[in-house]
Amino acid sequence: MISRIRKLVKDFSLGELRGGMRITAKELFNKKITVQFPEERIPISSRFRGLHALRRYPNGEERCIACKLCEAACPANAITIESKIREDGSRRTTQYDIDLFKCIFCGFCEEACPVDAIVETQIFDYVFLDSRKGSIMTKDRLLEVGDNNEREIDKAKEQDAKYR
Amino acid sequence: MANINIEINGNVVKAKIGEMLISVTDREGISVPRFCYHKKLSVVASCRMCLVDVEGIPKPQPACSTPINEGMKIYTNNQKSKASQKAVMEFLLINHPLDCPICDQGGECELQDVAMSYGSDISHFAEGKRTVADSDISALIYTDMTRCIHCTRCVRFGSEIGGIMEMGGTGRGEDLKIETFLRESITSELSGNMIDICPVGALTSKPFRYELRAWQMSAIANVARHDLVGSNIFTQTYKTKVKRIVAKDNDSINETWISDRDRFSYEGLAHENRLLKPQIKINGKWEEVQWDEALEFSIRGLVNSTFNMSDGSKLGAFASNTATLEEFYLLQKILREIGSENVDYRLNVRDLDNVIDLESNIKLTGLDGIDYALVVGSNLRLEQPMINHRLRKAVLAGASIDVINAMAFDFNYRLNSENIVSPNQILLLLAEILKSVLESSYAEIPKYLSKVKVGDIAKCMADDLLDADNSVIILGEHIINNLQAASIAKLISKIAVQTNSTTLNISATSNSIAAAMVNFIPGQGGLNANAMLEADLRSYILLDVYPQYDFHNSAQAIKTLSKENTFVISMNSFKDKDVTQYSDVMLPIASFYETSGSHVNIEGVIQSFVAASNGPGESKPAWKVLKVLADLLKLPGFGYINSAQITNDISNHRYKQKVDNKEINITIKRGVSVIWQKSPYAIDVLTRHASALHATKIGLMHRASMNKATAINENIKAGDKYLGVPVVITESVSNNCIFVNTNQLTGSKL
Repeated sequence: MISRIRKLVKDFSLGELRGGMRITAKELFNKKITVQFPEERIPISSRFRGLHALRRYPNGEERCIACKLCEAACPANAITIESKIREDGSRRTTQYDIDLFKCIFCGFCEEACPVDAIVETQIFDYVFLDSRKGSIMTKDRLLEVGDNNEREIDKAKEQDAKYR
Repeated sequence: MANINIEINGNVVKAKIGEMLISVTDREGISVPRFCYHKKLSVVASCRMCLVDVEGIPKPQPACSTPINEGMKIYTNNQKSKASQKAVMEFLLINHPLDCPICDQGGECELQDVAMSYGSDISHFAEGKRTVADSDISALIYTDMTRCIHCTRCVRFGSEIGGIMEMGGTGRGEDLKIETFLRESITSELSGNMIDICPVGALTSKPFRYELRAWQMSAIANVARHDLVGSNIFTQTYKTKVKRIVAKDNDSINETWISDRDRFSYEGLAHENRLLKPQIKINGKWEEVQWDEALEFSIRGLVNSTFNMSDGSKLGAFASNTATLEEFYLLQKILREIGSENVDYRLNVRDLDNVIDLESNIKLTGLDGIDYALVVGSNLRLEQPMINHRLRKAVLAGASIDVINAMAFDFNYRLNSENIVSPNQILLLLAEILKSVLESSYAEIPKYLSKVKVGDIAKCMADDLLDADNSVIILGEHIINNLQAASIAKLISKIAVQTNSTTLNISATSNSIAAAMVNFIPGQGGLNANAMLEADLRSYILLDVYPQYDFHNSAQAIKTLSKENTFVISMNSFKDKDVTQYSDVMLPIASFYETSGSHVNIEGVIQSFVAASNGPGESKPAWKVLKVLADLLKLPGFGYINSAQITNDISNHRYKQKVDNKEINITIKRGVSVIWQKSPYAIDVLTRHASALHATKIGLMHRASMNKATAINENIKAGDKYLGVPVVITESVSNNCIFVNTNQLTGSKL
């Protein structure tokens, strides 16, 4: 009986609402934790496995030597490589495709690579604009990602180097 | 040899006394690492990788050179053997570069595998590694000698199997190099096998370079159709394209080896000249059409041109000798159902009334054990490399070989005698041999031999034939267009019967024996290949025929096929200028390795194979095309759904070609004979399109050889061209003979 009366009083005096408003009032003065993506970004680990990139040597030569170990290591069969002798006699890819719809971002390709050519960058906010075709990262696109993010990739690799 | 018991890793194993330990472990499936040991090569025990612990011997012993004995106790995986294997592995790796990622051998490398299972993770070696400069040794083999671990398998291959020591070791110790003495000096017709036996990536395939990894391809057992042996191979395919061919072991056929022709001809499959779509000619213009339309058009053309189906004798069919057993069978069955006997595959024979009729009655394995061989008219090494290899084995085991040829060729073994005889004199020499044989055995001398005078050379050969327990007479390709071919074959079979010899007829190559097996030759009232070209036939079906190359009389063939009122159905795998010109329909068919079928080898063994890949474009296996053609013609008995059913329909029966029964007439023909032989890498349409083969020394062979006397008679000078082929004056050719050996991709123009 008493608990019933107590509930009645609480309901009619807007007790729940006041309790909620108290928290709101408190949070109004607290430090905010919402990150205003994409203007603001939280820090990302150097081991984050995001969008792939193909790297180059400082002299501009592509690193990839078409050994196809990444293709063999890929558990999702997302990588397709075709290779041939380049005019200068070196072993190079003619096609290097990663299908991002298939990719599970495990990072095995990066681990398998003997020349650190294929890497996973910290980029995760990408979008495919022309559907299926856009999901396939061709060699040119991968090299472009590498070129555009050279400094970030180098920095991430440097941070992780001592643990490898 | 006596059976004994030995103990390996605690298990009792039966073996024969004197066997090498490694062959026992191999047989028992016990893994012993090795690099220099190869089951078909001699033992050198130089790599020391196969060290195992033998009880009672303080030091570990190399398994490849340790003969076993009763009661021996061997431990292949105890502490002592493991430690020594690990140490050897570390030594082998000190100079080996760690460039596996760019090495073509990576993934199928014996060194890689053994290093993973027997080696150590780390190396104590911190000094600089040795590097070796490469030289271009061949158009087929790419070298990277820095990777060489000096197992000398390739060196031993050259001296023991190839017959020419092309690779050799120079220098000592750190400076030891495996190399050739000259650039591009690997000329062996078996050189590709060095790629297979090289345990590291020092010798790799040039045409295949940097293309694929071993694990990406699926290997499908197949049979090579370029010669009379039918070497067993693996066609390795990637995305339904044949990317590489490697040898498959079959001790009774090709052992472990295959010829370069079988290994590298696959390159032609991807040639841009492939015929991809069915085409029909309407008012002189080619139109690409769908299969059903092309087949309808063919049937309409056949019916119209051969008037009505009850008189099929106006229809003729030619097939190339590379077709499969099933294709030959279906094509002749169609023709015979229609009522035509006009089928033939012997397109390169000048005179089809003068043909070679000689049975082969020796097994390939039997060739190893012969003690005497008489070779008539053959450049064995290039024509039938695997048969030559077996003869070489016999020679190394003590056999003696006599050769009767129109020109001196390179044999890769020692010959007892090499008799260079003018083509017109070969019959006479064989008659002398027969007479001498008959005289020695006091048999009656037939009348046709009465005037023959036995010379010393013939006497020697006759005596050798009589003395030998296991002798063979080999009749080769050069006799096929000899003016007295039929008589030569008859004499040989008579000599063989008298001397108890076996015979081997290698005068027609590729899959010719399959054609003979299904009676792909004109029967009663039928026209043979040459007669068909002269007769006024209304329609022709051509199975992978390229008249310019395949016909003996190519000009006549093209002329006949081009006639206004003939209807020509060409089933081709490659585009060809002449075919386009005379055909009315072109049906694209699958080439080698793209169709299922069978090859029949010289022993009569039917080896069936499956299709390793699909044909490119819309091409279809020829047997399917023929079956559908037969169905459209409403012929009975073509309800096949796979090629194996066709094979089952074919009885293993060798039909005889029509041979005259005339008594042998020993006359000497006068005049100059021309022997026209295509280089081994231009014998069929696939090899003609395999570019790497054409860059080799054998592939570049292009000359008309004659001796000085013949040249003067014929009024030809060195440097001239004989029928478009550069003339070489050499005394290695017999008198009155012009030996044309051409890679020119044209046929004979005689």
